Amino acid sequence: MIAAAFARLRGWEGLLLALLVVIVVVNMAHSPYYLGVGNIINLFQLEIEKIIVALMMTLIIINGEIDLSVASVMGMSACVMAWSFRAGVPLPWAMLAAMASGVAAGLINGFWIAYVGLPSLAVTLAGLIGYRGVARILVQDRAIGDYPGWFNALGQQGLVGPLTLSIIIFLAMFAVLGLVLHGAALGRLVYVIGNNLQAARYSGVRVRRVKMTLFVASAVVAALAGLLYAARLGSVRGDMAQGFELDIITIVLLGGVSIFGGSGNLLGVGLSILVILNLRNGMGLADITGNTQTSVIGALLILSVLAPNIAQAIHIRWKGRET
Amino acid sequence: MREYVLAGAALLAVGMLSPGAHAQVKATPGKAENMVLLPKFLGILPFDQAHRGAEEAAAELKNPAKLQYLGPTPENSVAGQIEIVTNATTQGVNAIMISNNSGDQIVPAAKKAQAAGIKVVTWDSPIPSAEGEDVFVAQVDFTQTGRVMADMALKIMGPEGGKFAILSASPDAANQNAWIAAMQEALKDPKYAKLQQVGIVYGNDQSELSYNQALALVDKYPGIKLIMAPTSVGIVAAAKAMQDEGLCNKVKVSGLGVPKEMLAYTKNGCAPEFALWSFVDLGYLTYYTAYMLATGEIKAEPGQSFTAGRLGNYTITKDPTRKAGLRVLMGPFSIYDASNVEAAAK
Repeated sequence: MIAAAFARLRGWEGLLLALLVVIVVVNMAHSPYYLGVGNIINLFQLEIEKIIVALMMTLIIINGEIDLSVASVMGMSACVMAWSFRAGVPLPWAMLAAMASGVAAGLINGFWIAYVGLPSLAVTLAGLIGYRGVARILVQDRAIGDYPGWFNALGQQGLVGPLTLSIIIFLAMFAVLGLVLHGAALGRLVYVIGNNLQAARYSGVRVRRVKMTLFVASAVVAALAGLLYAARLGSVRGDMAQGFELDIITIVLLGGVSIFGGSGNLLGVGLSILVILNLRNGMGLADITGNTQTSVIGALLILSVLAPNIAQAIHIRWKGRET
Repeated sequence: MREYVLAGAALLAVGMLSPGAHAQVKATPGKAENMVLLPKFLGILPFDQAHRGAEEAAAELKNPAKLQYLGPTPENSVAGQIEIVTNATTQGVNAIMISNNSGDQIVPAAKKAQAAGIKVVTWDSPIPSAEGEDVFVAQVDFTQTGRVMADMALKIMGPEGGKFAILSASPDAANQNAWIAAMQEALKDPKYAKLQQVGIVYGNDQSELSYNQALALVDKYPGIKLIMAPTSVGIVAAAKAMQDEGLCNKVKVSGLGVPKEMLAYTKNGCAPEFALWSFVDLGYLTYYTAYMLATGEIKAEPGQSFTAGRLGNYTITKDPTRKAGLRVLMGPFSIYDASNVEAAAK
């Protein structure tokens, strides 16, 4: 059965890879600017915060949970930083305060989900509203800007060659989370719990600790992404990153991660990120924007998100009939 | 309408007298400039009208490069605008015309565009800090809005004057508050001495609430002859309320409205006169400004004067409404009445 699941995922990744190749070839044929270094960097930079958060979201969903509060935590973190900075706190401390707000959000989410046992859908939905509320109260409708040059430079300029800090963080996280998920004991537990929560409990897995770790990590990564976003835009508003959670979750699902938990891997999500980013960029360079762009990406996502889940539903029903 | 044209001409004359003023520059048609018109988002009428105006200017200037009208969806406005500016920079266009919806968050992307030699012109809504922006093409200015409303009130109520009330958007709507303040300032002129403003109510730019508030005004101030609504939602609701209650002979409606929505009420006399700037003209002027900046015929400096086709002469000045930045002030208002509303509603 594991082999079958493995084959299915391999098939899915193969599909994504084929799709990616098609998109890249079409883009290359269509725009002479596509393969420029600057464009490739922009292609990542324009969505970098979302894809950073998507990596951590992958672990959450494989674990059989969901974190809807990530975008609000991004906004809250940026606003805590902006508000403290305006109040006269030196920027490094303001950033630390922002990260602390992320830790707090993660602990709150984790407490209700892991220790009280409430569904993550409900808890993080409350978080989505609550943390956004904090962001809006702190910054309101006025933008807060005028950060020191080094802060803006971190978000907007290359740190190592053309690679920005955000891109480096993304690549590092991809490597580390890949190792954790597919090489470390914690990663195995993430799958075990996602596959069968009860069985994991009975076999002595410290479910609470794993879930708590994941939700704190998710919020911390979101808080970091919020700061990177603030640095990239050089200005903070209360509505920052609003609505990003849906984009983030769809990236993960397109990557072949089952919304029911227990299956999927980081490689698929990496491919999904490349597919979406290159598709968006190609359309942007072809001057396709607005609703047309949204519809094309939406159609792809509907198709791709439905396909594996329908396949799985059929598979489960089939299995049910056999027993 | 004539006096606003005159006022505009007077402003221009002042501009020409100021030090460093140049002669009116006329655009050289036929230069290939790749230009992007970027609204706050796609799919609403005023932006489509601006697009139409820009297309008109593009045709007049015989720009062989096609105008790109690109915009995000309303839900993705901020990130979408940044993405479009970034991609336009990659493509190496010559000018980007932005109705900015991203506050200063557009600044890094706009600055990179400028660094790549692209002219960044804002219209309708500027970049607050003016960083990354060459020129802002402003539709009208607040003082003028106040005078236009005072004049319409005087014209509708006649020389004998009378009482009027205001139906506004929300109590904290920045534009409306500034316009009302400007009108109250204008009313201090002795020529409006017989006009008496009796109250302000707020319809929050919701049709039903505005409708009820308009009726409440009539109950509360029985003698009023006019409701002035400096909001395109409020003015329609007030006109409908007066029409439904058969009050149009006693209480008239005026303010800022969209011709298409006001057509019926202007025709039946409920709202004999109202005003708005033309988004078509705004798009047209924005295109001329950006084109001439891109060709290098004008520079983004105070005192630069140019001719924008059928709209006439304009001068770049410092923007008095922001700490920094330059602007081209479009003006004048278009005043609509039974004689021209039909044509404008098309």
